[in-house]
Amino acid sequence: MSTAPAETSSAHHHHDETHHHEPELNFFWKYIFSTDHKMIGLQYFWTSLAFLFLGGGLALLVRWKIAFPEVPFPILSWVIGAPYVVDGIIQPGFYNMFFTMHATIMVFFVIMPALIGGFGNFLIPLQIGARDMAFPILNGVSYWLYLLSGIMICASFIVPGGAANSGWTSYAPLSAVEQYNLTANGQALWCLSIFVNGLASIAGAVNYITTVINMRAPGMKMLRMPLTVWSLFITAILLLLAVPILSAAGVMLCLDLKMGTSFFIPSKGGDALLWQHLFWFFGHPEVYIMILPAMGIVSEIMPVFARKPIFGYKAMVYAMAAIAVIGFVVWGHHMFVSGMSLTLSVIFTASTMLIAVPSAIKVFNWLGTLWRGSITFTTPMLFSIGFVSMFIIGGLSGIFMASTPVDLFIHHTYFIVAHIHYVLFGGSIMSLFAGLYFWFPKMFGKKLDEGLGKIHFVLTFLFMNLTFFPMHNLGMAGMMRRIADPTLYEHLRNLQPINQFVTICAFILGFSQLIFFYNAYRTLRRGKKCEKNPWHANTLEWSLEYPIGHGNFPKIPTVYRGAYEYSVPGFAQDYIPQDQKLSQEEESRLQKAMASSH
Amino acid sequence: MAPSFLMAESRVENVWGAPKLASNIGVNVDWLFNIILWLTGVVFFATQALLVWFCVKYRKQKGVKASFSHGNNFAEIVWTTTPAVIFVGLFIYSRHVWNEFHVPAPSNALKIEIVGEQYGWNIRYAGKDNVLGKASDKAMNKENKLGLDKTDPAAADDFECYNDMVIPVDRPVHIVMRSRDVIHAFYVPEFRLYQDMVPGRTIEWVWFIPTRKGNFTLACSQLCGTGHYNMQGKLDVVTAEEFEKFSAARAPKPVAQTAPATPVTTVR
Repeated sequence: MSTAPAETSSAHHHHDETHHHEPELNFFWKYIFSTDHKMIGLQYFWTSLAFLFLGGGLALLVRWKIAFPEVPFPILSWVIGAPYVVDGIIQPGFYNMFFTMHATIMVFFVIMPALIGGFGNFLIPLQIGARDMAFPILNGVSYWLYLLSGIMICASFIVPGGAANSGWTSYAPLSAVEQYNLTANGQALWCLSIFVNGLASIAGAVNYITTVINMRAPGMKMLRMPLTVWSLFITAILLLLAVPILSAAGVMLCLDLKMGTSFFIPSKGGDALLWQHLFWFFGHPEVYIMILPAMGIVSEIMPVFARKPIFGYKAMVYAMAAIAVIGFVVWGHHMFVSGMSLTLSVIFTASTMLIAVPSAIKVFNWLGTLWRGSITFTTPMLFSIGFVSMFIIGGLSGIFMASTPVDLFIHHTYFIVAHIHYVLFGGSIMSLFAGLYFWFPKMFGKKLDEGLGKIHFVLTFLFMNLTFFPMHNLGMAGMMRRIADPTLYEHLRNLQPINQFVTICAFILGFSQLIFFYNAYRTLRRGKKCEKNPWHANTLEWSLEYPIGHGNFPKIPTVYRGAYEYSVPGFAQDYIPQDQKLSQEEESRLQKAMASSH
Repeated sequence: MAPSFLMAESRVENVWGAPKLASNIGVNVDWLFNIILWLTGVVFFATQALLVWFCVKYRKQKGVKASFSHGNNFAEIVWTTTPAVIFVGLFIYSRHVWNEFHVPAPSNALKIEIVGEQYGWNIRYAGKDNVLGKASDKAMNKENKLGLDKTDPAAADDFECYNDMVIPVDRPVHIVMRSRDVIHAFYVPEFRLYQDMVPGRTIEWVWFIPTRKGNFTLACSQLCGTGHYNMQGKLDVVTAEEFEKFSAARAPKPVAQTAPATPVTTVR
């Protein structure tokens, strides 16, 4: 292994040697037990994209069961088999397992590791001008813990009783008593897996926070940092404060389940609502943990393709900080009708209404960024614009639930399912693709095919709306979440054509994602090497030629300005990289332009 | 049953939007829902239209450079305070409506207890005296499923049904909720009413007035285990006379008329 890349910023000035000429690492140390943040980032991506297949597949099974409860799914008996599937028909008890694992995998094994583990590792050191993370070995350990937790969650499918089936929220006492859930082994593995996954998140968070605070290149003031770094920094703080609560709750649940304690079992003196308070104290910040990095990515991409500074940089930062702070006092809005004190419900309505304000600010600032821009519709830009559009819908539908009386009506219906998918698919997953299309040239030195990318975008955008928008109506019509067979209910039977339409669209949506993987495969195989800054962007990572060595920067750059100086009047080139030193005359021209740009 | 491939039989009236209202509290819920729908609808169309308009108008064109603007403090203030004011308004109105429901039930309210269990509903009627016999979760066991105190005189005329709930129209109904095992949820979309039933707690604040006759479904709406997918009961709203008949048919035959009918009390 090379020398520890950790350096203090004061040491940067003495770092004049060219590149680290380290001994060639063998395959094992380079690709498997790497301590290079870029490789770890890619490991996170590959693993989470593999989980995307599993989580997405489970979603399609869930949708199939809802729409065609009596129609055998041809190959299922062969792939999965009894007792989960009998004669191609998913058994209702196991349906619960499939949606539980769908959500668990998507939240903990796809979105978090891809957005935070993937982009966080890959981008933070490159964008702040550091040689690596503050603790490279801990960083590797973080990935390996994540992988271990992933193996544990997969293993839970094959333990006696099968995987957890009490929902990703694991409400006690259903989750805490074997006699109730019939999957004590799977549920215990779920708890342990989430615990290990939490360790990975905490290790990563510590690393991100330390790196951002201590290892910025000279001149990279906090308020010059790219918004991606800001979003990941704030996310890391949220992780550090929220995840330990879930870890502790998970251990308590496991003890209830296997060791005879009764934290959450009312018949033995525990409290069922305690679990919900602990879970949602983590669970609501978690929602922002999954959307803040997405906001960061989009805020990074939009100025590049609008060729315009981000509108209201400071407002964007403050809005994220506000979301982070208020995010910790809104958890009760998941519990308006849980049997919790009615006075508390009123208080949580207030804080929930409050947190919608910074989200609104962000939307308006993205619109402001497009305003009077010069927009090129590349694939990453399309996904970013799509994100804004979908985030608006997801945000607005949240207002319905925030209002307690309306929540009485739509709580636990498909309205909520629509809402979360607009935020998590339309938000987080769209931004994941936006980021992958955008930074692929930095990761692999090649640009993904734009034609295929646009087909991918159009199909994704279209079918995600056709899949999730009708769910609002299903919810309003009274369809509950988490039921395997709506046709058993007289009052839901006439909704079945909508359910079938949604399922067909969901399948097309799912299979559309294969275009991305084909595109990536084809580009890696046959793509041409592209220039180092194909999008003409300002942030530091674009100053580096592919492949970027261990240690990143031949010479630690000096940063002269923020990341979003595009189309400055009086300059021939429409972008000024953060580390580009301007002549005195140019600098004063820039300062003058900036002074009149507010 | 034949596979219903794109061919579901229609049994209930609505496909689009909320089902026809059947309770008093739903009036305000629907009103609030519509206010939010209009509000968010306007914001939705305005923002999406702006997004599309900007994308068209400010697409890259020859010779046109993007404007060099870092933002506008006035705009930031406007679009921070406007939503804030709207949200404060919504909060105040939501709180008002919420508090309107959550007042003690009127004294003439029909008392009913629902105890959820895996996978069905135990429904206990208070009988003639409209007072439910005492019950405690601690006393629950295999024989005494609901943990009833049979020595309580108020229990003499109580009667139970399983998965079959009948209530009279136009009379307040006060529903006390408990659970035997895990969390279940009382949810009737026509009433615009949802409430979790939490083991170890007795929920006593739910009451409403059914406003139209009809057959509804009492569907559990909180994941409660492998049988959750089909945990449902009948809920019929009938006329006062029909309800009297229903009660009379089920009520336990009086053994000895010792205790005079106790005055109606509300448990709060």
